[in-house]
Formats: sequence, C-alpha cells, structure tokens
Amino acid sequence: MRAAVLFKAVSKKYLVYLKRYYFNTLSGMVSVFMIFLIVFYGAKALGAGAPQFGQTLDGLVVGFIVWAFAIFAYSELSWDLINEAQQGTLEQLYMSPLGFRSVILSQLVVAFFYQLVVLGVLLLLMMASTGKWLHIDLLSLLPLLALSVAGVYGIGFVMGGLALVFKQVQSAFQILQFVFIVLIAAPLDKFPFAKYLPLSWGTHLIGQVMIGGRSITQIPTGDLLLLLANAAFYFLGGLLVFKLLENAARNRGLLGHY
Amino acid sequence: MSEPILQVRELRKIYHSRKRGDTLAVDGVGFAVEPGEVVGLLGPNGAGKTTTIKCLCTLIRPTSGEITINGADAIRRPKAAVEYVSAVLEGNRNIYWRLNVRENLEFFAGLQGIPMRRIQGYINELIELFHLESKVKTPARMLSRGMQQKLAVACALVKRTPLLLLDEPTLGLDVEISHELRGILKGMAARGERTILLSSHDMNVVQDVCGRVIVINDGRVITDDRVANLLELFRARAYTVELSGLLSPQDAERLQEQFELIQISPDTSRTKVEVELLRNGQLYELIELLHRSGVRIESIGRRDPNLEEIFLKIIAGKES
Repeated sequence: MRAAVLFKAVSKKYLVYLKRYYFNTLSGMVSVFMIFLIVFYGAKALGAGAPQFGQTLDGLVVGFIVWAFAIFAYSELSWDLINEAQQGTLEQLYMSPLGFRSVILSQLVVAFFYQLVVLGVLLLLMMASTGKWLHIDLLSLLPLLALSVAGVYGIGFVMGGLALVFKQVQSAFQILQFVFIVLIAAPLDKFPFAKYLPLSWGTHLIGQVMIGGRSITQIPTGDLLLLLANAAFYFLGGLLVFKLLENAARNRGLLGHY
Repeated sequence: MSEPILQVRELRKIYHSRKRGDTLAVDGVGFAVEPGEVVGLLGPNGAGKTTTIKCLCTLIRPTSGEITINGADAIRRPKAAVEYVSAVLEGNRNIYWRLNVRENLEFFAGLQGIPMRRIQGYINELIELFHLESKVKTPARMLSRGMQQKLAVACALVKRTPLLLLDEPTLGLDVEISHELRGILKGMAARGERTILLSSHDMNVVQDVCGRVIVINDGRVITDDRVANLLELFRARAYTVELSGLLSPQDAERLQEQFELIQISPDTSRTKVEVELLRNGQLYELIELLHRSGVRIESIGRRDPNLEEIFLKIIAGKES
C-alpha cells in the first residue's frame, strides 16, 4: 500500500517535470529523429546496390530504436542521480522509510512506460519516413525490450554509484553511449561472445520479431532464457555494485555532496 | 521521565583519506533528547555538528557508537529509523525547484508513504501556517529565498515524523522571515508538537527557540545544559559599572589584569565597565580599585548576558 503511494508520488513528479520541461522533451525527440534520418540516408547512399542491403536497412531501424531506448533509459538513471545530488534532494530521497531503491525503481518503471510511448511515436515516424514498415507485435516486443534494457539499467546503476563517490564521471557517461552502438551493432555470427554482453542478444531477438515477423512464442526457450539470465545478471550486478558504492559514499560522508 | 526520543551514545566518526590521512570529525558524542524538547546544537565551524546531524539522518555511517530514534537502531536499521525523523539540511536546497508549493508538499508526503487523502488537510494547515497561500501554484524556483526556506521546513513537517532536525534553518534569511520562522518553531515547541534538534550559528534563534543547548567542539560535547541555566549562571557573574570620569590608562590596565573584562566603553566624560566576577569577594576588590582610581561610581547593576557571549566563552575553554 505504502509502495503504491510512493509510486504515485514519483509518477506525478515525473509527469510534472515532463510538462515543465516540455521544450526539452520535444527537442530531445526531434534531435533523435534527425540523427536517425542522417544515419539512415547516409547508410542508404553508401550501401546502395549491395546484396541484401534492404535487410541491413531494416536492421538499422531496429538497432537505432533499441539504441535510443537504451540511451534514454541509461541517462534517466545516471543523470537523475547527479541532478538530485546537485539540487540537494538526493538526501531527502535517501530518508524515505520505503528505501532509496524503491524510489529509484518506481522512477524507472514510470520512465520505461513514458519512453515506450515516445519511442513508439518515433518508430512510426521512422517507418513512415523511410518506408521500412516492420512488424510491431507489442506482446512480443514489450518483454524483449524490457529485458534488453534491464542490462542498460544495470550499467546506469554502476555509473550512478560511481558518480556518488567520484562525482566527475560525466565524460565516461558520454563514452558509454558509443559503447552501446558497438554492442547493438556487433554481428553475433562473427563475435558470438557478444551475446553475453548487455544489449546484443536482446537486439538480435527484437530483430527476429520486427524484421523476421516471429512472435515471442516462436523464439526457442533457450534463447529467451539466455536473455533473461543476461538481463538478471547485469541488472542485479549493477544494483549490487551500486549498493557497494553507496555504502562507500555513506562511509565517506559523500552522499548528497556534489 | 519519559523514554528519550533520541539517544546518542559514544558517537565517533573518522574520515579516512589517502591524501589527508584520518580526520576525527566526531569523538564520542553522547546526549539524549526527550519528546517535545527543542534543543540547539551549537559549535564553531568544523566542530562536528553537521556530521552528527547527518549520522542521525542515516546519511553518514558512523565509525562507532549508537543512535536510537524512537527505539529504532539508526545504524543497523536505518530504514526503520527514518520513519521517525525528517530533516532540513541545506536551507532552501531540499525542495524541487520545478514543482510548485503544493506539489512539493504532496511529493514529500508521498515519499513517506502517506496517502493523499490522509494528508491534504494537514498540507492546507501548513500552507496557512507558513503564509504560502498566495504562492500555492508558484514553482519553488520563482519563490524568494525566504519562502523557499519556509517551504523546505514545511516539506520536512509534512512527513509528520516526531523528530525534526534543522541544520541552519535561518541561514541567509532576512530579519523578517527569520522572525517569522522562529515564531513558527516556537509555536510548535510551545505546543510540544515535535521534538526539534536545531543547529545554527544565529544565537538569537537558538536563545529564542531552544530550551536547551548542546555545545560541540572538536567533535566532543563540551556543554549540555538548559538555556535558562546558562543565562542565569552568567547573569550572576556579569556586572555593569557606570563611572563618571575617565579611567587612566594605568587603571584600565590594572582592571584588565585583575578581572575578566567584557568591555570598557569610555565616553567623553563617563566610562562604562562591563566585567565578569569569577569568585566571591571580587566585587569588593573592583570597588576598591575604582575608588583608588578617583572616579565616582554612578551605578552598579547585574548585566544580562546573551547566548552568543556565553557560547564564545564556552568555546574559548573558559567554561565547561
């Protein structure tokens, strides 16, 4: 019951902030869309005439949307921690009797659904502007997407924890955005170990749904279990590292200082 | 006597740093606060006040010691302890600048897990108490600093915890708002609604609001007494003597050597001597010295000390 009250309070604050920062929200969407158009038409111009290039362009749309989702998810978590610390409210969140992790997880859930709507609109725009209409099977895509970005949340927790202790980690934040591109674009046939890293395997399975037209029930159980294990490993691992770094910050009196 | 709402025993905090070595910030602090008390936590910069308060908020883990808040162990079970404590730690920085007054209050109640239907009435009361009625829909960033600070205190109160920790609640406020905030805190203290532990450099605030003060220096408690007792103790010793005529430099020097002088204020033809008498019989010695100096004593009276002077004396190590 109290967790529901907390969730409601966090959701309301999230939505009010979206409204008050609407220009930010809109310009973020527009810039992601512009980047997509540049990447898509750039790739199209470079690869025109190559065999099976149409499929590569489909892959580009899928990869781009997963990347955008990952970036949103990751920034949400790590930048938010820094912002809360900077504005002096992080300490108040830590003083919630429901626990800081409940606060942050509530925020992640709200943000996930919000990002789903925003990226859903973006995906439609992307498909309409490129003529690459992919299969949108929401029931299959939702769990795959959630499990794929779970690993990214794990990384977000690690980076957020590092920010609590070491403060100046913004440049590492930016570098990681490019690491995500590598993880998403890594061809699994050439680098099979990449499926044990975050994002790669999830993007591969999302591709099977969106490009191959398969439903989640047609994906082998072993493949799904690998994604589940991957998500759990990185998410829980990230949470654990966050807890260790949070303890270090508590011991050193750094919580909330920025 | 009732069970203390806050019990601190042998609290120690050592910060380890590879570059600067170990720093002992809190060195065996111990005190208890009874329900309904308003206690001032005083000390010079770097005395260990903020570290102590942050340990009480569970934001800093102490190296050793015990903290019990309303029976909950704040070190081993911080989540249980924060059920009973709220804090304003950095003046106006504890609120969300993009949320308006009501949204801030609602959010902080939600953070405590209090459902809206149970708290709306109290939120309205707080808005009225802090005179924020006309600013209910104004985002916090558009409020004056004083109003932001009032809102920060209201956000701590909305959690309805029995213990409230205020770290420098009037810092940077103009006189009017500072008085208003003091009035609110005094009202709450008089009604015994909350137990308040308040740290401040503004001795007027502490003298006005607190019933008791704990003075910390170098990480240790050096005084823990009721404000009235401290004022009485110093009142019994501090005298103001008004003289017609001026003291010679030699007599002034003698006064300085023999007595604990607070101040000599010479005018064109008069002199005011403020002095603290530390032992019995010193008053006679003072009168004798003044008599020999040839000035006439116009009046002698007890001098009302203020908490600031007492604090400075305590810190200077003259009292403990």
